[in-house]
Amino acid sequence: MDELLGLAEENNGDPVYKNTDMDMDVFYRAGETHQGIPTYTPRLLSIDMQGALGSLRASGSLYEGVPSLDASSVVTWKGKSTKHVSEPHKKNLFLQSLEDEDESLSYCNELAGGIEDNQTQEDKDKQCVDCLENGVEFWTDYSKVHFHPQSLFELNGLWRGPHEFNNYGTGREVFSECLQGEEISTRLRFFVEECDHMQGFQFIVDDSGGFSSVAAEFLEQISDEYRNIPILLYAARGPDSYTNIPSWKASMSKNLHDAISFSRLSSFCNLMVPLGLPSLSQSDASRFLCVDDAKPFHTSAVYAAALHSISLPFRMMLPGPSANSELIAGALDIGTMTQMLSGQAWQNMVTILDMAMPSPLIGERNEVGLHRSLRSLTPNIAEGSEDRRGVETMVIHGALLSGGSRASIHQVKNSIEYGYQNQAIRPLFSHLSTSLCPLPIPLPFPSIFGNRIGGYGEILEEPIFGVRARGSLGVSSIPMATRLRSSKAILPFIEKRLADIRKLGTARGSYGVELLQSWGFQKDEVDDMAEGLAKMAHALKDQPEISSDSD
Amino acid sequence: MSLRVLNPNAEVLNKSAALHMNINAAKGLQDVLKTNLGPKGTIKMLVGGAGDIKLTKDGNTLLKEMQIQNPTAIMIARTAVAQDDVSGDGTTSTVLFIGELMKQSERYIDEGMHPRVLVDGFEIAKRATLEFLEKFQTPVVMGDEPDKEILKMVARTTLRTKLYEALADQLTDIVVNAVLCIRKPDEPIDLFMVEIMHMRHKFDVDTRLVEGLVLDHGSRHPDMKRRAENCHILTCNVSLEYEKSEINAGFFYSNAEQREKMVAAERRQVDERVNKIIELKNKVCTVTDDNFVVINQKGIDPPSLDLLAKAGIIALRRAKRRNMERLVLACGGEAVNSVDDLSPECLGWAGLVYEHVLGEEKYTFVENVRNPSSCTILIKGPNDHTIAQIKDAVRDGLRSVKNTIEDEAVILGAGAFEVAARQHLVNNIKKTVHGRAQLGVEAFADALLVVPKTLAENSGLDTQDALIGLQAEHDKGNIVGLNHHTGEPIDPQMEGIFDNYSVKRQIINSGPVIASQLLLVDEVIRAGRNMRKPT
Ligand SMILES: Nc1ncnc2c1ncn2[C@@H]1O[C@H](COP(=O)(O)OP(=O)(O)OP(=O)(O)O)[C@@H](O)[C@H]1O
Ligand SMILES: [Mg+2]
Repeated sequence: MDELLGLAEENNGDPVYKNTDMDMDVFYRAGETHQGIPTYTPRLLSIDMQGALGSLRASGSLYEGVPSLDASSVVTWKGKSTKHVSEPHKKNLFLQSLEDEDESLSYCNELAGGIEDNQTQEDKDKQCVDCLENGVEFWTDYSKVHFHPQSLFELNGLWRGPHEFNNYGTGREVFSECLQGEEISTRLRFFVEECDHMQGFQFIVDDSGGFSSVAAEFLEQISDEYRNIPILLYAARGPDSYTNIPSWKASMSKNLHDAISFSRLSSFCNLMVPLGLPSLSQSDASRFLCVDDAKPFHTSAVYAAALHSISLPFRMMLPGPSANSELIAGALDIGTMTQMLSGQAWQNMVTILDMAMPSPLIGERNEVGLHRSLRSLTPNIAEGSEDRRGVETMVIHGALLSGGSRASIHQVKNSIEYGYQNQAIRPLFSHLSTSLCPLPIPLPFPSIFGNRIGGYGEILEEPIFGVRARGSLGVSSIPMATRLRSSKAILPFIEKRLADIRKLGTARGSYGVELLQSWGFQKDEVDDMAEGLAKMAHALKDQPEISSDSD
Repeated sequence: MSLRVLNPNAEVLNKSAALHMNINAAKGLQDVLKTNLGPKGTIKMLVGGAGDIKLTKDGNTLLKEMQIQNPTAIMIARTAVAQDDVSGDGTTSTVLFIGELMKQSERYIDEGMHPRVLVDGFEIAKRATLEFLEKFQTPVVMGDEPDKEILKMVARTTLRTKLYEALADQLTDIVVNAVLCIRKPDEPIDLFMVEIMHMRHKFDVDTRLVEGLVLDHGSRHPDMKRRAENCHILTCNVSLEYEKSEINAGFFYSNAEQREKMVAAERRQVDERVNKIIELKNKVCTVTDDNFVVINQKGIDPPSLDLLAKAGIIALRRAKRRNMERLVLACGGEAVNSVDDLSPECLGWAGLVYEHVLGEEKYTFVENVRNPSSCTILIKGPNDHTIAQIKDAVRDGLRSVKNTIEDEAVILGAGAFEVAARQHLVNNIKKTVHGRAQLGVEAFADALLVVPKTLAENSGLDTQDALIGLQAEHDKGNIVGLNHHTGEPIDPQMEGIFDNYSVKRQIINSGPVIASQLLLVDEVIRAGRNMRKPT
């Protein structure tokens, strides 16, 4: 989002970014430092292992300058002192260029704009792209955002590498240990207190390992402390969580982990969106993309784009009573969206995230339709099952017409309606949010677009010759379509977990029972979890059409 | 932060290799921590990969900042951190003691002795040492008013191992008074009732005790007063914001008119709650210089803030859950969960409520309260790492006072206990033990000396001379600790150097348990083999 702000301020930028009727303050806060310098930082609390921030200081750089390493800065002890310096993480070219920019901005604000040496800038950008493609180690290597000192929390005292922090048991009690949960909650309170109208929490967790239980304990506390505030949970995982399973024991532990963590996490939120395919690159979702599964830099860009898109309605300004915006339609808050998806016919709170990146051109002769271009980012679901009792919310932004110009809100609406009419089965309820503004593709964005993607994200008839992958230098924006879908297609996902917990976790005397005990779960708790999952699955089966195969 | 100390190759090769790896890991961890110990220890500045700083002189904090990979070292570290969780102090001593037990054992094992024999000796020595601790302890009679002088001496001893003397001494009064403020006769002391708040400020000596509460937020309305005297305090957990009900959220079923009606009705309900608070205010604030402050755990939205501001009420939202309890203890009254329960009796009172603004940070001080049994320690320091280190020290200080009150006993420090216990084991216990387990007792006894030895070493003294001096003086029948300036024997009682009884007890209990486990790694493997042998 702050990308959009930057673009809006640019003098000769695309007018589509200038006025968007988007409220950036939904995800960002305006603040000021002790010196009175204004700041703009995300309303974000991130919890990660110590050392996972790379070259970024946990306190950020806005509010506190680089601390002095001088021994004289030890003011609390007059005795001996020693210094232990870890190998410094160097800032990469991209981060350096951001820093240079910050500096030159503060020195000669106005002047710099026009007189730039284009040649060298282009070269510099190319170098940045190369260094990011091959050198990203931490997410902070490509993050442009400044963070508030309360935002980045590091767990310490884990004494575990990422590879050992790989199951539900390892993260247990990390939250409650040594006042860490206390500190985390205080930080969350900081962001909540300043909100006048809190929509809800968006909670993203990598649920493939120990963070799952850290998140569950945190969520339990949040849902208790902030009772009426909805929680939208994205349970995301990278492709690497599906590989590296060396043994039978490990795979069993993993299956149990998946079942337990799904059961626990889903019980503390209002809506859960599992995402993360075993192989994004091989999936249909990236048929216009060129993703390397081995690079989290690539895969996370795709998932982040989808989350950005699906959360746009939360940021749309509510139209005044008379005004009808030309720029946006279908604003929703988090609570309404979660209610809408989870409260209808299915009473199902596990939804599927679909995406078309880019979304297809509207009004083409043999139009495939926006609906059919959507592909799931949620693993383990039934394909192609259209669902009479389904509920969906769709977000389309920056859609292009076949001629290449931006489709109006009206045109998008029509196209969607047309699509529904041509579907054999229409969902019970659907909601559309749409905005003219596409997904901007700024510099740190990885080169993940295939050679059939044009400069504005349009899908070309012919591949561009001699190009394999395109990134921020060739593509400036992408029209996107995403959808959250509450549908019986999620059934296999739930049933797999149910089967695992029954087979591995409750069978008497099995290794799984022992394992679960070591994770702190007694038999009756496991039984309860199994029962909960069975209920979830049952609710999705309970309809006349398929009642024949349920007996 | 990677103080990468230890050998990461943890594969168990064979029994003796495994045993020696354990010993080395224990010694390695001991080496890292030993410079921390005591009033002459070294403070460590840990600089992370991004240039961020942690300052610590505390075993607990240091261990947590380290990336320990060796499983043995992790085991020891966990024991030491647990030591801190249970008793609040003594992490460094725990690591040193375990390391020294392993070191002393190594000598005997290298001479071919079986670890089992040592472990048996440890067990005997441990029991004897715990018995000795009972005799050695100095009882502290609590009565109605605890002896403040002894509490101060214990707190000062602890704080002076973490902060320079002047600051330590200033904080000594603060932590003692804080604990006495929250103490209720015959109830366990809940240190959470001391709020620890921090504020960026040039000088650490401005750290102070606030009798009352400091909150890290302020009112959210421009027209509310920033300072008020004679305040009635309403502590509550009542939603004063408009929340979309479930039915309303399903608006896509209803038409616009219905929806607006529903919204209006819901808004009215919130306003009614606010009005009930205003009614109470009007009832109790009869004199013009009376004020009314609402501190709410739930949210207060702008329309509600408006109403409250118009009524001259100061309102804070989203207070910490724990502050509900603290406020009531500090100001009196009771925390209210529903506006139906409102009455003048549930109100607390504070002589002064004011806001302090530092950039975007706001603090609200609730002060001049009557008979508080909750209070706030407001820590000031020039930067985050200084504040963090002072905070660690304050926590240690608070724990030491709490322990003293609950233990009703203290232990003479500066190595006095360790020297006395060692002489007791060697002179009285060892001879009662049959066979080679004697050597286990001796190893244990010598391992105790790691404390005075390290204290001397950190003071730059000759450790041999210092130890000999101490033992000689002890054998004359005196209780002696180490003067960390001169290396001469001193009487810790005279100097006011006291440690916590429960901390010492915990160290003696847990040290040998872990050491034994690490030593017996050998036997576990052997037992496995034996079982496979046909009998
Ligand atoms: N003035 C003093 N002179 C000599 N020894 C002292 C003095 N003050 C404290 N000590 C000794 O220092 C030791 C405590 O040191 P320190 O607090 O650094 O370590 P610890 O309590 O084992 O671990 P932690 O790092 O958790 O505090 C105790 O043995 C105590 O008796
Ligand atoms: Mg100590």
